[in-house]
Amino acid sequence: MSIINALISLFQESGFAYLAWQNWVMIIVSFALLYLAIVKKFEPLLLLPIAFGMLLVNVYPEIMYDPLAIATPGGQVIDASAHWYDSGVLRLIYCGVKSSIFPCLIFMGVGAMTDFGPLLANPSSLLLGAAAQLGIYVAFLIAIATGYVPGFEGFTPLEAAAIAIIGGADGPTAIYLTGKLAPHLLGPIAVAAYSYMALIPLIQPPIMKALTTKKEREIKMEQLRTVSKAEKIIFPIVVTVICVLIIPSTAPLIGMLMLGNLFKESGVTDRLSDTAQNALCNIVTIMLGVTVGATAEGKTFLDVKTILVIIIGLIAFSFSTAGGVLFAKLMNIITKGKVNPLIGSAGVSAVPMAARVSQVEGRKYNPSNFLLMHAMGPNVAGVIGSAVAAGFLLSTFGKLL
Amino acid sequence: MKFTTLLKPSMSMLEALSVSVTGIIIVMIILALLAVMVVILSKAIRAVENKAKNKTKSTEKVVETELPEKKAPNGSPLPETQSVGSLDLYKTDEKTAAVIMAIVSEESGIPLNRLQFNSIKLIEE
Repeated sequence: MSIINALISLFQESGFAYLAWQNWVMIIVSFALLYLAIVKKFEPLLLLPIAFGMLLVNVYPEIMYDPLAIATPGGQVIDASAHWYDSGVLRLIYCGVKSSIFPCLIFMGVGAMTDFGPLLANPSSLLLGAAAQLGIYVAFLIAIATGYVPGFEGFTPLEAAAIAIIGGADGPTAIYLTGKLAPHLLGPIAVAAYSYMALIPLIQPPIMKALTTKKEREIKMEQLRTVSKAEKIIFPIVVTVICVLIIPSTAPLIGMLMLGNLFKESGVTDRLSDTAQNALCNIVTIMLGVTVGATAEGKTFLDVKTILVIIIGLIAFSFSTAGGVLFAKLMNIITKGKVNPLIGSAGVSAVPMAARVSQVEGRKYNPSNFLLMHAMGPNVAGVIGSAVAAGFLLSTFGKLL
Repeated sequence: MKFTTLLKPSMSMLEALSVSVTGIIIVMIILALLAVMVVILSKAIRAVENKAKNKTKSTEKVVETELPEKKAPNGSPLPETQSVGSLDLYKTDEKTAAVIMAIVSEESGIPLNRLQFNSIKLIEE
């Protein structure tokens, strides 16, 4: 009898007994994401830790346990004697996301990896990076409009702003802004942002094709001029001063991005540049990926709002791509046929996938065409554009916090 | 626009549209401003660099004229038009090979008579 009792007790304590159906659904979703990361190699460096974090939190929700969680909207604490160190291990690491440290450090790594040369050689590509933020504002409108659907409470302006940033196609920026404005939506927004970034080669080409003619896609662009070392060193300093003075809330993102870039371009901090773009970036990516994935706990993740976030995110991505392509078409008209509109889609800041898509699509229609370097300009401009857009949304809605 | 009106749990479509239009305009203005700054800075830096380059060139000329006649260390140097060695071409016509060699010379800044090409081969994808 005692063996049976022990087995019953073991079963009652096991995950099979206490997991809800939502957890099982999310476990299956995590398997699908792991498959995409490992077999299909869709952004594996991000998707794999996110998927594994999702798996961990759904087989063992306590790993994100927060003893200091607020029980009621009024602010009543569940257990006054609780300590922060009683938290689940992933909850502790998650502090780096909540405090915005991780997204900012990742931005520093991105800066250290980025070559702004193509952008400096062709400064008009900055405008493409701005135009490709269109999806952010379309998504914001759609998120607000859901409030007018009968029977649905809709999204608050803070939530709408956080959802909208998915259109920037920039993971760290999306996490940074959502962590500030609507932390409860961090899971769905991060998953949507990174999933769509991974799916860029599938999402963008049909839109690029629909908005351009065959003749436009075949346009060969002139070779870019060489950019001097001095230009590359001065650029991050100028961007920091201008952007932060105009919108101070961009300081954490733009500041860290440009600091990383200055490490790289100055030529006197090779060790710092190496650490920022390799060791540090990799460590932070692991911690950020796993903990963001761990916010997707089935019982809180699976609801109508999450599905809407995923749908609005896709619309945002599509409009951002369209915004970039349409603006590139306009530039092509103004320059009398010197700009291939396919480079416009790279204005969504997913570096360097979006630029690669422009290159691949361009070569499909003209095998002697090399658009990669031309597309890198709008691509890195998109990183600045999405950070500026996030800063604008933060300065507009941050007052509610 | 008074942003304090936005600090409500819900927002009218008109307010949302106003935020969206303002947002895209601000992003456009800031990035356009950056583009202008980049153009100005690039021009200024290139002007300074060109000036410095010209100065170095003129100094070099002065030094050249002051120096006594140069003597080649090992016999007489190769004439401008002369080249050495043989070049194997695989699935590449002479015209293309000439263009490739000219590009390499131009990009590396080394005169053709100082470069030696052993073979040029077409890599088929």
